[in-house]
Amino acid sequence: MSPDSVALTVDGIEVVVPRGTLIIRAAERVGIEVPRFCDHPFLEPVGACRQCYVEIEGQRKLFTSCTTEVADGMAVRTQNTSEEARQAQVANLEFLLLNHPLDCPICDRGGECPLQDQALAFGPGESRYTEPKRVYEKPIPLSPLVMLDRERCVLCARCTRFCDEISGDRFIELFARGAGERVSIAAGEDFRSPFSGNTVQICPVGALTAEPYRFVARPFDLSRGDSICDHCSAGCNVRVDVRRGSVVRVLARDNADVNDAWTCDKGRFAFAAPDRPERITMPLLRDHGLEPASFEEVFASVGAWAGEGDVAFLAGGRLLDEDAYALAKLARRTFGTNDVDHRRTFHGGHAEVLAAATPLATTYRDVERAAVIVVVGLDAEQEVPILHLRIRKANRRGAQVFVVHPRRTRLEDLARHELCLPEHQSYVLERILDGDDAEGSFAAEVAAALREAGDRAVVLAGDRLAEHPLAADVALRVAQRYGARFALVPRRAGDRGALRAGLHPSLLPGGRRVDVEPERAEVEAVWGAVPAEPGRSAAEILAACARREIGVLYLLGVDPLRDVPDASLARRALENTAHVVVQSLELGSLEAYADAFLPAAAPIERSGSRTDWEGRSQPLHPVRPPEGLARPDWEILAGLARAMDRPLGFETIEALHEEAAPLLAPRTVPARVTAWTGTGPPKRLGELTLVSYPLLVDEGRMSEGATELKAALGEEAFVEVHPVDADKRGIVDGATVAVRTSAGEELVPARVTDRVAPGAVFVPFNQPGLAANGLLSGSFTAAVEVEAVASDAAPAEGAA
Amino acid sequence: MSVLSAELRATAEAIKARYPAGRERSAILPLLYLVQSVEGQVTREGLREVGELLGIRTAEVEAVASFYTMLRLRPTGTHLISVCTNLSCALRGAGEVFEAAHVAARVEHGGEVSEDGLFSVHEEECLGACDAAPVVQVDFANHDRVDVDRMGEIVESLRRGEVPTPSRGSAPADFRDASRILAGVEPAS
Amino acid sequence: MSAGAEPVTRVVTATWDDPEVFGIDGYRARGGYEALATSLAMTPGEVIDLMKASGLRGRGGAGFPTGVKWSFVPQDTGKPTYVVCNFDESEPGTFNNREIVEREPHRVLEGIAIAAYAVQSHTAFVYCRGEFLWPGRILEAAIRDAYGAGVFGESVLGTGYSLELVLHRGAGAYICGEETALLSSLEGHRGQPRLRPPFPAVEGLYASPTVINNVETLANVPSIVANGAEWFAAIGPEKSPGTKLFSVSGKVERPGNYELPMGTPLRTLLEDHAGGVLGGRRLKAWTPGGSSTPMLTDAHLDVALDFESVAAAGSLLGTGAIIVMDETDCIVEAARRLVQFYAHESCGKCTPCREGTWWVSRVLGRIEQGYGRPEDLPLLDELGRNILFKAFCALADGAVSPIQSSLLHFRDEYEQHIAERRCPFTGRGPGLEAVEPAPDLSGVLS
Repeated sequence: MSPDSVALTVDGIEVVVPRGTLIIRAAERVGIEVPRFCDHPFLEPVGACRQCYVEIEGQRKLFTSCTTEVADGMAVRTQNTSEEARQAQVANLEFLLLNHPLDCPICDRGGECPLQDQALAFGPGESRYTEPKRVYEKPIPLSPLVMLDRERCVLCARCTRFCDEISGDRFIELFARGAGERVSIAAGEDFRSPFSGNTVQICPVGALTAEPYRFVARPFDLSRGDSICDHCSAGCNVRVDVRRGSVVRVLARDNADVNDAWTCDKGRFAFAAPDRPERITMPLLRDHGLEPASFEEVFASVGAWAGEGDVAFLAGGRLLDEDAYALAKLARRTFGTNDVDHRRTFHGGHAEVLAAATPLATTYRDVERAAVIVVVGLDAEQEVPILHLRIRKANRRGAQVFVVHPRRTRLEDLARHELCLPEHQSYVLERILDGDDAEGSFAAEVAAALREAGDRAVVLAGDRLAEHPLAADVALRVAQRYGARFALVPRRAGDRGALRAGLHPSLLPGGRRVDVEPERAEVEAVWGAVPAEPGRSAAEILAACARREIGVLYLLGVDPLRDVPDASLARRALENTAHVVVQSLELGSLEAYADAFLPAAAPIERSGSRTDWEGRSQPLHPVRPPEGLARPDWEILAGLARAMDRPLGFETIEALHEEAAPLLAPRTVPARVTAWTGTGPPKRLGELTLVSYPLLVDEGRMSEGATELKAALGEEAFVEVHPVDADKRGIVDGATVAVRTSAGEELVPARVTDRVAPGAVFVPFNQPGLAANGLLSGSFTAAVEVEAVASDAAPAEGAA
Repeated sequence: MSVLSAELRATAEAIKARYPAGRERSAILPLLYLVQSVEGQVTREGLREVGELLGIRTAEVEAVASFYTMLRLRPTGTHLISVCTNLSCALRGAGEVFEAAHVAARVEHGGEVSEDGLFSVHEEECLGACDAAPVVQVDFANHDRVDVDRMGEIVESLRRGEVPTPSRGSAPADFRDASRILAGVEPAS
Repeated sequence: MSAGAEPVTRVVTATWDDPEVFGIDGYRARGGYEALATSLAMTPGEVIDLMKASGLRGRGGAGFPTGVKWSFVPQDTGKPTYVVCNFDESEPGTFNNREIVEREPHRVLEGIAIAAYAVQSHTAFVYCRGEFLWPGRILEAAIRDAYGAGVFGESVLGTGYSLELVLHRGAGAYICGEETALLSSLEGHRGQPRLRPPFPAVEGLYASPTVINNVETLANVPSIVANGAEWFAAIGPEKSPGTKLFSVSGKVERPGNYELPMGTPLRTLLEDHAGGVLGGRRLKAWTPGGSSTPMLTDAHLDVALDFESVAAAGSLLGTGAIIVMDETDCIVEAARRLVQFYAHESCGKCTPCREGTWWVSRVLGRIEQGYGRPEDLPLLDELGRNILFKAFCALADGAVSPIQSSLLHFRDEYEQHIAERRCPFTGRGPGLEAVEPAPDLSGVLS
């Protein structure tokens, strides 16, 4: 036994656990559950509810097992073997039920309620309490998502501790004291945290309920499946609850390697997309209009069109790993082209190759244990919310956090921010790389911290860094110079898997370069011949389409009109391509352009796996069969290949996995050969730089139908301008301004705020009232001018 | 309209400076007393401003404010009459004094403020002056061995605009003045 | 102070015959701040050893040896060390801290400075109970004067040792007398107690090593330094040396604070000093250490008032606050009022305290109003057991004291309330004539 281990017995059963383990956890190890309400394995011990009393032999008093650490030779007796412990638990339960309304028949928690379960198991049939109960107004909405019933509350403080310890969004607190203590929110405020749903899930009674699930189902009505959230690259392990075929609830599953016990509100509440009425579940083929067809008819047509011109493939960011692999192979093997891409931000360089080649080089655990975390070009809360929580967790454990970003992030309470123009982020990185900045400067402080932390440091590079060519490589060099770990953190759930699989014009599976013969040969050994010339990137594909150089544009889970940061180019591309094939859940705005439609199965309808930002591939399980004729993407692609007489070589998912495994195994990447020349002194795009990225809750298709989520966390479109820039232009907070770029002009209400760097103008990518891709020309930044719009413009129609 | 004037904001900063750097949250009670000294109670706006001064959310401030009985989150009279009814005082007749305070001040039991806005009556726990039971505090100034008659006299003198002489020390002019003293701010004079 | 008693050694009140000790000049004229100078000439370790040798035990209720407490403070953490003077005196019946401050504030300040030096702290706080508006002003003035005299500041008494002292006022919460709740409150949070370990000596204020001492404890310190550990240890019984400033209130002729050696029997305190029971009536019940300590009766008149003897009699010395009840006082009402206090002051954090005190106060209220039931007594017995040692901190245990001790010594009085359906002392209640008991619906929260 190691000196860090402790041996004890629980109800006579021997167990060895790490020193410092709490008795309640040690008991769980041997399958003994001590009743508890306040204890939660991912929250700090508090000892408030007093339900978990156990006896320790030789001790006079009972001990709360949730706050007492194990000791060598300790003999613990739980309610199973100690009458005294059992009695204490019964007595405590009686106290907890004094003021509880006992309204289980109308409570959403009924059937899965720890309090109900324990009352049933231990509780006396009748209460000896004859006095009137506490009465509160109920339920009160904390937000459009979360309702609070204070009569049911047992004041375990899990919800308020979550907001304190985990999310840092301290909207709800315990107010007052004694018997009048209650969970509450400041008057006039909403529980505006993107993590609010976690409090509902960890509430051990029915005090907090989620509006979308209120009175919707009973636990025995539900069938459930384990899945991986598809809203971002966090890889949250979730459980999807289905009632009569429709998703009614999503819960986080515990996974200490990934999401701990949490998921964000988008992952939890934006689940209606697969059940939208716009969903199409049969193949369609354009005759006069789009008419129902068979898969074989569509395949034959695509084959015929492919004979007439070049074929190019664009994929979205949410494919499963298997789909990405099948498409990467289909493009090369069946259609002989490298014109395939999934990206909408283009890092390029060595960082991208590393991300493709080396899964799990940097993980959540590394972040959690880090002493220093440098976040560059990433708004973690909005883009990868669970990573944001992990950074916060690391900070609670002492990590120093630094953020380089054009806009202040929700790490502001704990991280030093360097706000800078998007095109200057790499310059800041170079200052850190040089490490010789004046003392007290941001770069010097980061350099000193990194030097000190060595391999207990992590550099996280987000999508915003792609706004400067090869800036991600500078971030990588910073990490390498100081011995820190590095990760390129993509936003979308399928990004890392697609990159790994080779949905990239110059990278094959595992980051093998198309134009490097020995690397290509490793893939050709499995796939057969692959074109040696790198293909076109997504942007180049669209440009080629617009120039009428592409015969068939195959769109897999992507809508260029909405997803690509150049609305005008996307429209011209679609208009100028002879044949557009759409494979997705629905057609949406592509209806006018599509010549064929292939119905994809939704993730909840299928098996597969998804790779998170770490490079961790995690399995999904179907919770219902595919709707109509919909099929998994990879199966459709395999069918198409077969119809083209160039089969992919796998008919089952197992065969696919078997083939892909060696190609996706971690591999050593040769060190970057080209010397880094530096970005040079910072240049500016223009006097002002527009920067845009999607907020967590926006008008994305995956969030459609999430009414309460949008009511709780959504925002109308706005533009953020720094006060200095606003002053110069006479722009006042709240006034409508014109935002003008070479691509277009939009009118939006201004927020004058020092949240953005001076010179930066932020517009969210896709909020109600403004699709920012109308202002963009291929990247998420642009030279911009903002101008106050005269408020006393033309009088409204009908006015005198 | 903010609760704290520019001058009081400077005072607030001085209050924060009493505590070690980075520990300014310790100033939450004196800052709440400070806003109470302006408004005669702690209002929603006062909570918000204290949160702003400390860089914490309003809910965190209210969580603290609502824990302590001397921070009044509800309307309070010009004068706060606190009657100890705990055991040592109860043994010496505090129950009748408590009744008398309500009658004299014309405050209903459980009522918040007398109609004229002059008084609130608070049932107080032990005030640590049990040798002088029953003890009454007027705006936190002690009056020893108060009986029913004396209670009436105290209220009448307050009604006349006088400040009854406490048993020890000097008395605040009213509840707001007491709150200012509790914030640790010396009188302007 | 009373007359007629035998002369006894006084520690805390030794100079109170001189009203001038209130001010810094008067205090210095009687030797004030010399003990601090003596201490500063010693090593910190020597001061701690001196305190250990004196046997001084904390006067705030728990009776932990003060020197030992100081010695627990680690000196190698790289964090600052803090000293906090607990002046949140709130235990019902207790008022000696207040009188010490009102009469001789510099004695407390000197004790703080010596304690701070002993543990090498450079920042000290006084947590002053909010309701002590006037004592707080006295301290503010005294602190100003002490700074002026070089007792605090950059260089204490010119020695180069720096010490800042900050007065911090509470805002009305009994629980803040509990040391971890006090720390939460001082940090700007709700005054709820915290888990131990970590203990304050290691992780207290701002997660740094912290010593928390009661006012009376600190007031003893200068005298111990001035007169030596042996002098102090020779006063009173061996295990509880020194004197205690007993607060006597309730039904006595001369309520007040009396400094007597530990181990003085109640009879001496009550009859020789406090003038006996008011109006010559019979002693019925008394608390030895405030409301949180189990009541004793006239059968316990000869119990020696020290930690061990009072414990042997089935109670606790607590704060040494004696509340006296006579034969005309209703024990059920006394217990009810005290439990109401604990229900009101419960911080709400843990279940047995929050719900238990609330329930018991309602049952007692019902009995006192004449609506008791025979099954209420076994229920109260059980609720007492279900609260005792089951709560997060000792506040709830304090609430059990009046419940269990009143049931132990005066069960017949409860039975009489229930049988007669009225309070035999006040006559309140429906009595035997009434048919329908009216439940008390007050206290329903909205």
